Amino acid sequence: MFNYTFHWNQALRALPQMLDGALVTLQVAVLSMVIGLACAIALTGFRLSGSRILSGIAAVWVEVARNTPALFQIYMAHFGLGNFGIHLSPYAALLAGIAFNNAGYLAENFRGALKAIPETQTRAGRSLGMNSLQAFRFIVLPQMLRVAYLPATNQMVWAILMTSLGVTVGMNTDLAGVTQELNARSFRTFEFFAIAAVIYYFIAKAVTLAARALAWRMFRY
Amino acid sequence: MNKVSVLVFGLMAATALGGAAHADKLDDIIGSGTLRCAVVLDFPPMGSRDADNQPVGFDVDYCNDLAKALGVTAEIVETPFPERIPALMSGRVDVGVASTSDTLERAKTVGMTIPYFAFEMAVTANDKSGVKSFEDMKGKVVGATAGTYEAIALEEQVKAWGEGEFRPYQTQADVFLALSQGQIDATVSTSTVAQANVKSGNFTGLSVVGKAPFDTDYVALFTNREEYGLINYLNLFINQQVRTGRYAELYEKWVGGEAPDLTVGGVYR
Repeated sequence: MFNYTFHWNQALRALPQMLDGALVTLQVAVLSMVIGLACAIALTGFRLSGSRILSGIAAVWVEVARNTPALFQIYMAHFGLGNFGIHLSPYAALLAGIAFNNAGYLAENFRGALKAIPETQTRAGRSLGMNSLQAFRFIVLPQMLRVAYLPATNQMVWAILMTSLGVTVGMNTDLAGVTQELNARSFRTFEFFAIAAVIYYFIAKAVTLAARALAWRMFRY
Repeated sequence: MNKVSVLVFGLMAATALGGAAHADKLDDIIGSGTLRCAVVLDFPPMGSRDADNQPVGFDVDYCNDLAKALGVTAEIVETPFPERIPALMSGRVDVGVASTSDTLERAKTVGMTIPYFAFEMAVTANDKSGVKSFEDMKGKVVGATAGTYEAIALEEQVKAWGEGEFRPYQTQADVFLALSQGQIDATVSTSTVAQANVKSGNFTGLSVVGKAPFDTDYVALFTNREEYGLINYLNLFINQQVRTGRYAELYEKWVGGEAPDLTVGGVYR
């Protein structure tokens, strides 16, 4: 039996505070995605470089990022590094943790996208007189980005949802942090969590729809 | 059957059914033979786990005493601070014996008993931070366990100071880990927790540097707001614990020293 009377009035009064938190959530997610993309491109480059050390670094990064929980990665960014005297603020630790995770998944995503483009296309480009860089730039890269684009938007949604793990390292300004604090103060758990869930849903949905619209504009033939 | 006997029969049936439907939570607990207590096991000496991973602590003993008084078996349900209310509302526990501060804000949601324990707040600082008193925390990075009385008070204090930073961590262990690493300079916690953690030897470079000038943190047992029968019983139970000297005994066992007074002068209840 669920014995609880909802006090929506009280909860909705905190809505502006929660929306401020949602902005921080979105900010962390966007920054983590930008940093993650840059790292992923670098990792893809490392893998293609042929250097043993560089591809080793890329392999370890991708393995750890994809096969351990994001919670662990964020926790390590704060408390793990803290053990060695490197102090990241909760915001920085959360950002670093998610960016690390994003980079791992996106690098794998790029690898898959590269594989989807037949090598014969590069050879065809070369036979038309392009050098290898031109063939990559004009033939492979545009197609690769197209293939990688939609899975990458998935990662963006995932990044938004992962920000909620920031509470474990003392983050109190993002949506999950604000919600936890409101909950602790008033014990109106279900109202605040329900509102937070709705806000997360709308952010994620808005990002997905915006990405689709953008894809429709960008990838027209 | 004449009209009168139909009426009488109907009334009897209604009374019998109505009676059964009115079994309250106290009846349910006695009937089921099990008392399920929400206890925070990350909060020594009130609740923690011993070397054999068994729950121990003041709150654990308190729940066992309560079960004994009710003539039922106690079941300790480990409940982190933020999950106390969901655990109660979803019916996973009957009573919270979880060092819960009896704020008016929370009493809008759950039913609080009279205080069964009282905490004083102490400042613990990293030795390298230079924090020697409560006032020294101004402008520093400070933290506390999210959702606790002291966390709420400390965050308001940091806002009032207008400088420094407040960080809420999810568990007491994380607060002391962050403190020992120097991620935060100082924390405010209950003096019992502060002493227990500094003495535990798990964290180095920490000292309890003084008291925090927050009001005494009275904590209450809690259950569903409308369960007056159970709340009434719990109030009497707390009274009896003090009256029989069991409260002082448990305090000596888990904390040591003189047990704090649970009454407030000049007002009823």
